[in-house]
Amino acid sequence: MAGTVAARKKKKHTFKEWMRSRDGQQVQVMIAFMTIPLLLLFVFTYLPFGEMFQFSFYNMKYIGTRTWVGLKNYIRVFQRDDCFGALKLSLYYMGGSIVQLVLALYLATILSFKVKGGKLFKGFMFFPYLINGIAIGFIFKFFYTRGYVFDTVLQWCGFDLENLPYWLRDQRINNISLVATSVWRYFGQNMVLFIGAIMSVDNTLYEAAELDGANKFQQFRYVILPSISTIVTLNVILSITGSLSAFEPSYVITSGANGTATYFVVMHEIAHTQQKVGLASAMAMVLLAIILFATLLQKLFFKYVFRNSEDEDPNAAKKRDKQAARAAKRSAKAKN
Amino acid sequence: MKLKKALAVVMAVSMAASLSLVASAEEGGIPAYGDIVLGEDYTDLEATITFLNHKTDRAEDGTMDSLIAAFNEVYPNITVEATAVTDYPEDALLRLSAGDWGDIMFIPAIDKSELSTYYYAYGTVEEMSEEINFANQWAYDGLSYGIPYMGNAQGIVYNKAVFEAAGVTELPTTPDEFIAALQAISDNTDAIPLYTNYAAGWTMGAWDAYIGIVSNGDATYLNQKFAHDADPFSDNGDGTGIYALYKILYDAVANGLIEDDYTTTDWEGCKGMINNGEIGCMVLGSWAYAQMVEAGDNGDDIGYMPFPMTVDGTQYALAGGDYCYAINVNSSETNITASLVFIKWMTEESGWCELEGGYPVDKDGALPDMYTAFDGCTILSDEAALEGEETLLDDINSESELSFNAGGNSKVQRIVESAFTGAETLDEIMADWTAAWNDAQDYLGIETTTY
Repeated sequence: MAGTVAARKKKKHTFKEWMRSRDGQQVQVMIAFMTIPLLLLFVFTYLPFGEMFQFSFYNMKYIGTRTWVGLKNYIRVFQRDDCFGALKLSLYYMGGSIVQLVLALYLATILSFKVKGGKLFKGFMFFPYLINGIAIGFIFKFFYTRGYVFDTVLQWCGFDLENLPYWLRDQRINNISLVATSVWRYFGQNMVLFIGAIMSVDNTLYEAAELDGANKFQQFRYVILPSISTIVTLNVILSITGSLSAFEPSYVITSGANGTATYFVVMHEIAHTQQKVGLASAMAMVLLAIILFATLLQKLFFKYVFRNSEDEDPNAAKKRDKQAARAAKRSAKAKN
Repeated sequence: MKLKKALAVVMAVSMAASLSLVASAEEGGIPAYGDIVLGEDYTDLEATITFLNHKTDRAEDGTMDSLIAAFNEVYPNITVEATAVTDYPEDALLRLSAGDWGDIMFIPAIDKSELSTYYYAYGTVEEMSEEINFANQWAYDGLSYGIPYMGNAQGIVYNKAVFEAAGVTELPTTPDEFIAALQAISDNTDAIPLYTNYAAGWTMGAWDAYIGIVSNGDATYLNQKFAHDADPFSDNGDGTGIYALYKILYDAVANGLIEDDYTTTDWEGCKGMINNGEIGCMVLGSWAYAQMVEAGDNGDDIGYMPFPMTVDGTQYALAGGDYCYAINVNSSETNITASLVFIKWMTEESGWCELEGGYPVDKDGALPDMYTAFDGCTILSDEAALEGEETLLDDINSESELSFNAGGNSKVQRIVESAFTGAETLDEIMADWTAAWNDAQDYLGIETTTY
């Protein structure tokens, strides 16, 4: 007994000492610095999220009494046509995001080499991203109005107004019109990210590829693309999840009318006009699950696609050699 | 040191004294709305009150400032800080749930059962009905919580010159006559016969205002019977009822009597267009009249007519209150008193209601010129819901997601889309609404009958 008490005393003593020691101070500073961002993250992200999760089990309005309904809200989400019907619109936005990424990758590849006025072009193409989404909505509302900007420009190009479609009224094309605004807004940002990644590719690789007789497309395919696979994956994931949660174009330009209501717009309508907060919260949770699932699928997909390309990557062999050399050194040191 | 102590004592004594003074001023309590004599009582009351509202146009053109300045000539010590908010319906709800929104606000769309939680009751509906029109607008348990800043008689804004040019000499009184008039405008003039304002959304919800009194002449229908009606959207066959109301819109769209591209309508732009004679008419509440008159040089051309529907030989018009002033129940007694004085002055003395072309709120107010076309119409206000059923209409609106008179714009937009594309007939849409209505009645356990 006495022994253990002494041991405890000793432990406490050492803890105090440890606190004063350099290591202990380091840990304390780390914790102190981490507390604030973690607290902010908790208060502004996880706490509201938890609240919303809780809301999804109630039949409630913003104000007034709440009644517990269990999983009924979730069942209703799956029973309604409009919720999952709206997700079909995401296909338009996904199609748009593929166009957007290809365009961005293409322009990024060109602009990362020496091009006359390259910086100016970069600036012009990045500019739309800096404009507020609501403002873009208003711009395009007038842009697409019959006989306004877009129609006028097309008329300059020789189109006849009679043959032009109504960009927002015609239900066959109005979603494409909306997706185009989102592509216009975001491709510049993707492009800048791609340029950044391409800049970090080792220049000697191009020279080596050229010596081996690779043309520009082959350089792109076998040098650039494998080297920036991480950033491509990231952009694809962000675009796909972004298209699942598209909101601004549809909300601002058409206010979700005429068959353009995306999942988010439907959710907004249910939460704010119909005041079914519980149902809308359940919709949000379902969307979260869908997005998580979509992200997981993409991760698996890219893991598969880029594993093959990494095998062809000339860097891979080098890396392995270097690692082997390092391991050998370490083991040599240990022996000494 | 001694000086400081002495000062502190003096301060404490004077503060205590002022406290007791305040207390004695408040001993009188809050007066009843009807007992306040404007210009005589409370002229020396000192207070700072805030007034949250949606009238950004009146804040910008200085009307609000001049109204408050006029108020301060009589009540120099009551400072009124008015804040106009653009996205009022949502913003007001958020501020309300956050608390601490000030002293006076316009009541946003809340359930009537919540009124007493947030607002000070002016008095019983009976008492208030002696002072103002529309006292039952925001009433719960027999108490009145809101005073409208103006009344609206619901009809249609139209351009007299366009109607004349089209050869329409007598205002239409039935749906058929109305569609014929629109057709005449389409045939004989370049104007757009009926401008839907589809894109703005809430302008489509304006069609809901004609349910009840206008469509069937029954003042008790909207708040007492509508929620119980097992079959509210069926075709009466005689140009009355809710079916006939939306049929006007459906037919106008189907016959091409609306604007060319309804998805890009521009609310701000339409005001100038109707003023210049580019638009025949728009279905909007009377509050819109003043804006259309002011939007250009041809204000005299703008007219306001009752909704073209005749029930058993009588044309009915609905008059109802617009946004209502309400006072924060948690404000201090002084602020509540000052708020009461301000609201009473705004209602009776300011002339704001008349300026907006509103139907008078004050019992003694005179009917403005714009309502001359309403001569011969029977003007009614919707009766309040029966006791214990105050929230029934809100509940069924929310549950069915049709939200009549409560932001259910997309359902009216659907009529325009369907009529244009031919995707659905009006009968199909109405059958769908009936199904949603009946499901909601089932879910909420509401007894149903057929009227």
